[in-house]
Amino acid sequence: MVRVENLHKHFGKLHVLKGITNRIMKGEVVVIIGPSGSGKSTFLRCLNLLEMPTSGDIYIEGVNVINRGENRVSINKVRENVGIVFQSFNLFPHMTALRNIELAPMIVRRVPEAQAREDALALLNRVGLADKADSYPSQLSGGQQQRVAIARALAMKPKVMLFDEPTSALDPEMIGEVLDVMKGLARDGMTMVVVTHEMGFAREVADRVLFMDDGVIVEENTPAELFSNPQNPRTKAFLSKIL
Amino acid sequence: MVASTLSFLWEHKSFLLWGAWSTIQLTTISVALGTVIGTVVGICRVSRSKVLSLAAAGYADFIRGTPLLVQIFLVHYGLPAVVSSYVPGFYVAPFVSAVAALSINSGAYVSEIVRAGIQSIEKGQTEAGRSLGMTYGQTMRYIILPQAFRRIVPPLGNEFIAMLKDSSLVFAIGYNELMTRGKILMTKYFQFFETWVAVALVFLCMTLLVSRLVRFVERRMAINGES
Repeated sequence: MVRVENLHKHFGKLHVLKGITNRIMKGEVVVIIGPSGSGKSTFLRCLNLLEMPTSGDIYIEGVNVINRGENRVSINKVRENVGIVFQSFNLFPHMTALRNIELAPMIVRRVPEAQAREDALALLNRVGLADKADSYPSQLSGGQQQRVAIARALAMKPKVMLFDEPTSALDPEMIGEVLDVMKGLARDGMTMVVVTHEMGFAREVADRVLFMDDGVIVEENTPAELFSNPQNPRTKAFLSKIL
Repeated sequence: MVASTLSFLWEHKSFLLWGAWSTIQLTTISVALGTVIGTVVGICRVSRSKVLSLAAAGYADFIRGTPLLVQIFLVHYGLPAVVSSYVPGFYVAPFVSAVAALSINSGAYVSEIVRAGIQSIEKGQTEAGRSLGMTYGQTMRYIILPQAFRRIVPPLGNEFIAMLKDSSLVFAIGYNELMTRGKILMTKYFQFFETWVAVALVFLCMTLLVSRLVRFVERRMAINGES
């Protein structure tokens, strides 16, 4: 589904990603953990080209999405297939929840308005916010905003969903509602890559956990193995601090 | 002093009010055109094209770095002088020159307002739009500009008020607005103090009225959901 080959990213002199190679299978839920500054978010953002990798390749369903040389694909086409949910929601504040969700399908995929609206309402229902269709983001709680943001990303019918610390900006009592929506997605077979500090979620939902530190994937395993029997000393040190 | 000014004002009220009306017309048309120019130039300013952003910056720098009076003379006397060497007898009415000069001037200031407005929108908004597959243009049109314009309303109101006052400079090319009428009254009646206090009061009424209006519009826009 997603194949990453020797990915490097520099921000000026700062070498943030130092050669990431990985494969994400269809329907797989991959959770990325690691200390802050380890490059997890940058890696995630490279997957939908919000950050352009300095070198290396990313293949999505076999297509090289890095615009170099032959077989160039448009960045916008890539992004249509890769949804992302941000830590700070980034809902469009001047639009209702419904409009937030239906806009991109209408203008990017040219879905007729009636159809887009119907789909948007179905998605709102799926994230448990059918009654908030006409609310503006400022009238919603953080947890509700994040659920609308998930619905907005899903409206483009992405093949992969990326989550960049989706619960880090939330009050504790709202984390559960967002994680529940994500668990539902995982059950429905969505391919997901999740950067999070929610180890409970990783344990329960992840098929595989990647531990990143200092720009590389230090260790990866099933959550049961990685949490109970970490191999690398850096993984051990990190887990001992947070568990 | 107060009594004589008030009676002067009362005596020449229709003469001055017609001047005020001209000032309002001139300012409204110029700022409206200036807003169109400024929006286009402001978008060019933030565009990724080096050529466009440099051209836009050059325009804004030139206009903001030279006196408005010089610009008015350049448009009214300078350009026709060049054109008339090709088209004999070419002449531009003061009103047209005034609107042209003030719009070009206003456009430069508005472009800065638009640029600042666009850049004040959080980067996450652009990222959210782009990550949904929208193009740069679509993100601008549906996400960034609608939000930017809400923030632009108050500074645009200030620009209107500034232009209302600065438009008085077109008396120098003989356009018959409030300032010109003040000069006419002064040379006719020699009541220097009364004349200019009266003119000042009429300007003051206009600017106060406009600033109230801007605040009203601002409040109306804030109600519709902006956080």
